[in-house]
Amino acid sequence: MKNKELLKVNNLRVHYPVRGGFWNRIVDNVKAVDGVSITIHQGDTYGLIGESGSGKSTTGKAIVGLEDATKGNIYYQGMDITKKSTRRKLKYNREVQMIFQDPQLSLNPEKRIADIIAEPLRNFEKLSKEEEKIRVIQLLDIVGLGPEALYKYPHQFSGGQRQRIGVARAVATHPKLIVADEPVSALDLSVQAQVLNFMKKIQEKFNISYLFISHDLGVVRHMCNHIAIMNRGRLVEVGTKDDIYNHPMHIYTKRLLAAIPETNVNQRKAHHENRLAVEKMYQDHKSEYYDEKGEALPLQKISETHFAAIPKSRVNLLKSGSGEVSD
Amino acid sequence: MWKTILRRILIMIPELIILSVIVFVISKQLPGDPFTGSINPKASMSQIHHLMRINGLYDPWYQQYWNWVVSLFHGNLGNSYQYQEPVTRLIAERAVNTFWLSLLTMVMTYAIGLPMGLYAGRHEGKLQDALVRIYTYVTMSIPFFVVLVIGCWIFGYDLNLFPTNGSVSPSASGFLPVVLSKIYHMILPATLGALFATSGITQYLRSGVIDARKSNYVKTAQAKGVPMKDIYKHHIMRNAFLPIAAFAGYSIVGVLGGSLFTEQIFSYPGMGLLFLNAVNFRDYTVMTALVLLYGFLSLLGTLISDIALSVVDPRIRVE
Amino acid sequence: MQKSLETGAQLSKEDLIKLSDEAKNNATPSTFKIIWKEFKADKMALFSLIFLVAFIVFVIVGSMFINVSQMMQTNIMNYFAKPFTSNFLLGADAGGRPILEQLIVGSRNSILIALGLTVISSAFGICYGLISGYFGRVTDLSMQRVYDFMMIIPSFMIIIEIVNIIPNYNAITLTLLLSLFYWMGTQRLIRSQVLAESQKDYVSASKTSGSSNLKIIFKQIMPNISSLIIVDTTISFAENIGVETGLSYLGFGLPVGTPSLGTLIANANDADNITIYWWTWLPATIEIILLCLAISYIGAALRRATNSTQRRSTD
Repeated sequence: MKNKELLKVNNLRVHYPVRGGFWNRIVDNVKAVDGVSITIHQGDTYGLIGESGSGKSTTGKAIVGLEDATKGNIYYQGMDITKKSTRRKLKYNREVQMIFQDPQLSLNPEKRIADIIAEPLRNFEKLSKEEEKIRVIQLLDIVGLGPEALYKYPHQFSGGQRQRIGVARAVATHPKLIVADEPVSALDLSVQAQVLNFMKKIQEKFNISYLFISHDLGVVRHMCNHIAIMNRGRLVEVGTKDDIYNHPMHIYTKRLLAAIPETNVNQRKAHHENRLAVEKMYQDHKSEYYDEKGEALPLQKISETHFAAIPKSRVNLLKSGSGEVSD
Repeated sequence: MWKTILRRILIMIPELIILSVIVFVISKQLPGDPFTGSINPKASMSQIHHLMRINGLYDPWYQQYWNWVVSLFHGNLGNSYQYQEPVTRLIAERAVNTFWLSLLTMVMTYAIGLPMGLYAGRHEGKLQDALVRIYTYVTMSIPFFVVLVIGCWIFGYDLNLFPTNGSVSPSASGFLPVVLSKIYHMILPATLGALFATSGITQYLRSGVIDARKSNYVKTAQAKGVPMKDIYKHHIMRNAFLPIAAFAGYSIVGVLGGSLFTEQIFSYPGMGLLFLNAVNFRDYTVMTALVLLYGFLSLLGTLISDIALSVVDPRIRVE
Repeated sequence: MQKSLETGAQLSKEDLIKLSDEAKNNATPSTFKIIWKEFKADKMALFSLIFLVAFIVFVIVGSMFINVSQMMQTNIMNYFAKPFTSNFLLGADAGGRPILEQLIVGSRNSILIALGLTVISSAFGICYGLISGYFGRVTDLSMQRVYDFMMIIPSFMIIIEIVNIIPNYNAITLTLLLSLFYWMGTQRLIRSQVLAESQKDYVSASKTSGSSNLKIIFKQIMPNISSLIIVDTTISFAENIGVETGLSYLGFGLPVGTPSLGTLIANANDADNITIYWWTWLPATIEIILLCLAISYIGAALRRATNSTQRRSTD
């Protein structure tokens, strides 16, 4: 079953001016996000993967409205919400929420949990004090915390609990899309799975879509059906889970895949050799995949679902039917 | 680097213009006229009106301001009504006194503050440190003029160790006696001013030394076996002293601000006392010129420190 | 879909109240409680606080029983009356005016002006720093240019000039005038802290929660810098006592006939007064020193209380 389109990002650019010279004029731009297009369907989990500085977080922030787009458009359910004023008019953030990377920083240390979770409710929904309290307790229950958490402060919780509180705040207004910016990378390995399971449970319960931002392809594998790989502000590969994990086309994607730790001890040696081979390939072919300014090439269509920023020659090679391209 | 300096100087220009307009407009609003009671008590109203007219005091303010700016660039700030002499000459006479007093205050400030801060930082938590901290706490809390009054009373009047009036003894003659007498007159006000100004330096230096001592680069040096004496000399002092030297510009702004009180209490004939007298005599030209000069000097002091700090501390340079 | 949430957890009202009470007991102590604990542990700070409060109450109540215009009338009969006599506990000045009464009324005037100045200038400086630091960019740049300018103008001289312009000024206009020139230190301190706070994700979270900028500034960021505000305001109070008294000392503070600690200390400007008639100026001087030391000490204790690594009280 094909779900309907929820959010469409069209050629998004977020550039930061670099000022310099005597008159402090704009001399250059840092292209944090440089022409990104993605489409997220209802109930889907879309993975946005890249190393730090690749612009994946900036893309996420632009989608929730924390960054202004320099160029390009963002459509939510067909409406252009690129402008701040339209977002406010539509109460956009009631529908699109965010989970932040570090719950230590994203929960106000001076506020009680009740106030933190109720903040979006107070701004977007008119509830009585009693209704609000019941709703907050229900939300805490959903993320596995008891009502005794209500009057505590964030520092009284462990990292995993804090992030669950962050999840509870994000789902408070029943949003349709949640941008999760590396939601587990600040947590201990042991509680990562726990938080991810809560996120999955909530998704099933409320039919929420996630934009799951991560640097870790290992985590994403269990969460996402669609994945986009981002590098230096541009998308280098877009596809389904199967496309990315089983038929990676871009050398950067291959490199990321090789970096996933291998848990099977017997395979360790083979895994290590594979990594070295991929790294060598990356160094040898780097120049083919990036233009002279070091920017990624435009995306080429490989199949209905699969796109990759590879040189045209390789696409033709593929089309001529030689099957897998050997490197 | 020079770009930063030039840009800072360019920012100065509008600040100076705004300051001069404010100062000028305020001066024009002062009540009373400067002639009543100061020239000839028998002068009639019409004579005063005549004087006002020929001095351009009935022109619109912007006209007067423009005339004033034009003459400013000719080095002419008008005449003092009170002293009947050019303001420039009057201020120049007094500025010399204020300059020497401020300089001595600065010297004393660093002479007292540096060893004290260093000493307290070295002996953190011990008795010496506690005493220095009490000292900075007391001098930081009490208003400046109260320190001056108390000091003037104890050392000037009660113990009769220092003169409390003027800048030089009238009986002194000859170069050396005059210079010595001048220094003698400045020691008490300069020391009291320094006592007040040291607290900032002392505290900064103390915490600088303590932070440095706990820093990893000092621990590394210690682990390598560098003697503590050398660590102080090469690592801690260098890092702590440079910014303090760069603060000199800010300090001079503070010292100048305090000169109103110092000169009033010690009847020291500097610019601060000149200003206070000018206010009482409604001597507009002197007041205006002095406020502008003080503003200009503050600007200059801040500028010097800003630039010096950006040279010393590369983190400040990138804005 | 949404229904499941409503039926998710059913709680009776009693349960809810019980749970809230339990939770309240578990809550962390408020800033106020921590500060109170610190004062109880530091006897000197507690003493300073009691002294300060008692003194302020005393001069306010005491001055209610004093007829100021009658007190300020010159009475040549009591010319430099000696202290420790039945009528003049602290003697009289050259005009035969009683020093003790002047001290009480003058203290009230000086303290209330310093309090007013602290409240107004700190409130302004806090708002200025919050807005400048939170919005950043062009707002911050232009607001900091204004700050730079305020820093270079010789404020004391300009205040003296303006005092001479205003025809009928009183304690209130003087306080307002001074407030124009004494907000910069607070501003600088608050701004630098707000710059750091604004970068934290809880501010972003509030933005996506739909809170307005004003709400974020005053309800989210301000509680996080409250300890800084408390300490800075206390220390400003000590500094501000010096502002009005200094101005009055130079003769440009409160109008003639209104006693202030500054006008009393100004008696020391006379060589005879400073040596022979010490009672005309020394009590006021000692009082100012004690007041400022007490306030600063309270400020230091507050700073310790709000910095968990320096607290003297044990949990």
